[in-house]
Amino acid sequence: MTGLLNIVADPATFATVLRVMTPLLIAALGILISDRAGVFNLGMEGMMLTGALVGVLVSAWTGSAWLGLLAAVVAGGLMGALMAFAVNTLGANLIITGIALNLAASSGTTLGLFFATGDKGMSGALKSGVMPSIDLAVLGSIPVIGPFVSGHNVLTYGALLAVPLVSLMMARTAFGLRIRAVGVDPKAAATVGISVKLIQLKALILSGVLGGMAGAYLSMGYVSWFAQDMTAGRGFIAIAIEVMGMGTAWGTLAATVVIAIAETLAITMQTLGLPNELMQMIPYVVPIVILTIWTARGRAKRAALK
Amino acid sequence: MTDRRDDGERAAGPAPVVAFDHISKTYANGTVALRDVSFSIPARTIHAICGENGAGKSTLMKILFGLEGPTAGQVLLDGQPVSTATRDFAGRHGIGMVHQHFSLIPTLSVTENIILGHEPKKGVLIDRAAARAKVEALSQRYGLAVDPDAITGRLPVAAQQKVEILKALSRDTRVLILDEPTAVLSPPEINELFSRLRDLRDHGITILFISHKLNEVRSLAESVTVLRAGQVAGAARLADVPDNMIMQMVMGRPVEITRREPRQVTGEPLLVMSGVSLASRDPADRLRDIDLVIHPGEIVGVAGVDGSGQRGLVSLVTGAARPGAGSISFDGEDMAAASTERWRARGMAHLPSDRFTQGGVPALTLIENAIAGTDGDRRFQRGPFLRGGAISEAVAGMVEDYSVRALSIGERLDSLSGGNVQKLIAARELATEPRFLIADQPTRGIDVAAAAFIHKRIVDAAERGAAVLLVTADLDELLRLSDRVVVMFGGQITAVLANEAHLTPERLGPFMLGLEDMP
Repeated sequence: MTGLLNIVADPATFATVLRVMTPLLIAALGILISDRAGVFNLGMEGMMLTGALVGVLVSAWTGSAWLGLLAAVVAGGLMGALMAFAVNTLGANLIITGIALNLAASSGTTLGLFFATGDKGMSGALKSGVMPSIDLAVLGSIPVIGPFVSGHNVLTYGALLAVPLVSLMMARTAFGLRIRAVGVDPKAAATVGISVKLIQLKALILSGVLGGMAGAYLSMGYVSWFAQDMTAGRGFIAIAIEVMGMGTAWGTLAATVVIAIAETLAITMQTLGLPNELMQMIPYVVPIVILTIWTARGRAKRAALK
Repeated sequence: MTDRRDDGERAAGPAPVVAFDHISKTYANGTVALRDVSFSIPARTIHAICGENGAGKSTLMKILFGLEGPTAGQVLLDGQPVSTATRDFAGRHGIGMVHQHFSLIPTLSVTENIILGHEPKKGVLIDRAAARAKVEALSQRYGLAVDPDAITGRLPVAAQQKVEILKALSRDTRVLILDEPTAVLSPPEINELFSRLRDLRDHGITILFISHKLNEVRSLAESVTVLRAGQVAGAARLADVPDNMIMQMVMGRPVEITRREPRQVTGEPLLVMSGVSLASRDPADRLRDIDLVIHPGEIVGVAGVDGSGQRGLVSLVTGAARPGAGSISFDGEDMAAASTERWRARGMAHLPSDRFTQGGVPALTLIENAIAGTDGDRRFQRGPFLRGGAISEAVAGMVEDYSVRALSIGERLDSLSGGNVQKLIAARELATEPRFLIADQPTRGIDVAAAAFIHKRIVDAAERGAAVLLVTADLDELLRLSDRVVVMFGGQITAVLANEAHLTPERLGPFMLGLEDMP
């Protein structure tokens, strides 16, 4: 028991939670934007994976982690645009398009890695960049709290800053209002002269930009290399998180914290000698349990209304 | 019929706000929705547009609202020809529309709904203070009180309609179209709406009021244009014409009707509904206090303008809905909570109004459509396997009996004409020798020969002792087949009439339009 307490009170544990949170939060916010616009981005996993590879390659070629991030973000945005084109212009099914993007990204990144390095598994041979960590000079020197708040990756701060920004965009800008209108009733939105396709295109590009950023964090922050299928289902966990967050940015943050704590427990409690496999189940079991409870409660509420 | 074209021109002075000039509209599938429609609407008036469903009212309003373009002819605003069907046409020309099914987003606030598409901005953000002020100003100017911060979907329907009107007025609107706005309102709410609309007219807004309820048209509008079958059937100032003349324009000329030999029905009724009500999200499906009996061998025809509750009535006796109150019994058995399966097991057969979404599956073959619903039938099934030979033989028999014209029974259903599809569905439904037949618009949109054939089969079923519920918008068909006629209006039965020689469409009209009520 004291072992557990030590883990919880350790700034290192807190840092782990933030590290785990960062890609999930960015990706979930990306899904949120697409979901509210009525074009659920099921291709998030593929966008993250593509962003992760492109970031590593471009940072290795240019020697700049920031240029790597920029390239990852552009790649994600292009994938979002491709998804919008397939769905809205060509009339493809949204779900199938998302799955297709994921499958294409999985093998496409392996192929890209092979062409760039001659290796199909890892990019270890490349000298790729890492996004810097930031020391908050004054805050960092505060006793007790300092070690908790300072010294994290720039994208971690970026992810946390994205929460109020996305919230503000959805609630207070014309673009956010139109996204919310289009997602609920595209026909009604069209009668006031809104172009539904344009709003959905913009929403998916933005969603892809965030996906590329989440991927870049994985390969240039979380670790410093690209590995085959390194997203390991985070794009799908982000989907579960977005649903748990009930389509709001702050709800998504709360859900991300819960999942990240569960995942951190899974990592750190392996040191306590509990069965590894049992711990690794936690991040997957938690969303299932929470979503089951919420769905059941929603049903009960609707039934009570009748 | 009247000197309608001269109406606008005779009034000297400014050009009429809206003028339709020889508008025709033919859809890609060949349906002619409008044929050479010309009339004009003077400024600052309330003008009603009347007509039955399918008369072309909605198409004409879609053209004026800019959602569709005409095939021929043009729309003139203030005497100037304009090209419709361009992006944001209505917004740019100050035309607002209150849709029958509101175009509001339920999850947004009242203010958000009203500013949507033309949001006032301060930097990158929406200027919420300006938006709120705008809504309050609109609300005050036109006397339409709403809470700007309420979530729209949580408001009662009458309040949502106010929001819809404010939204339609929010962009310097001078022409306001209202499509059947009273369908969702109670009588006091209707009075309130009408006095608000008169205020709007006094503020200089020209109002187009689309309705099929003559009493409402008379109490609100100054002039009326009647459309029938895509053409202008007449136009008049309401002060100048009596009700029955407008009705004549709406319904068209009476047709010679050959009635079926009257039958004496005896014995106990088969279907008994008493005090039945039905709650529904769609007001057109709601029913109130329905009493209806049908005897074996009797054809009861249901008349009424579309959306008067017919769909709700059919859903109750086919097991698609459960009544909120009242009782339904069939052959003495309580069927209020019966499923479709149970209704069918008791001998119910159903010719649905929409033959391609409810009657059959367009992409399946004639064979598959003809045996739909027979699963478990030993003739067609052995263990889990279908008996192809026996099925083909039975379906070929049906196709021959009902003279369905098809190249082969292996064809897709949607390769057939409407009349042949309906004959196949009739063959399937009547093959079961039903005790209770529901024929919902059985001959809508099919050719005369096929219609006559289906009429004969319906009469045959009744003569074999089936109780028949015939729902139809075709009054000719109604009077041809029915032994008894019930008229529905606003979810209630407003009249029950024996189908005798003096019963004419003119006699039914006032009940169908809610002008008269039989206690």
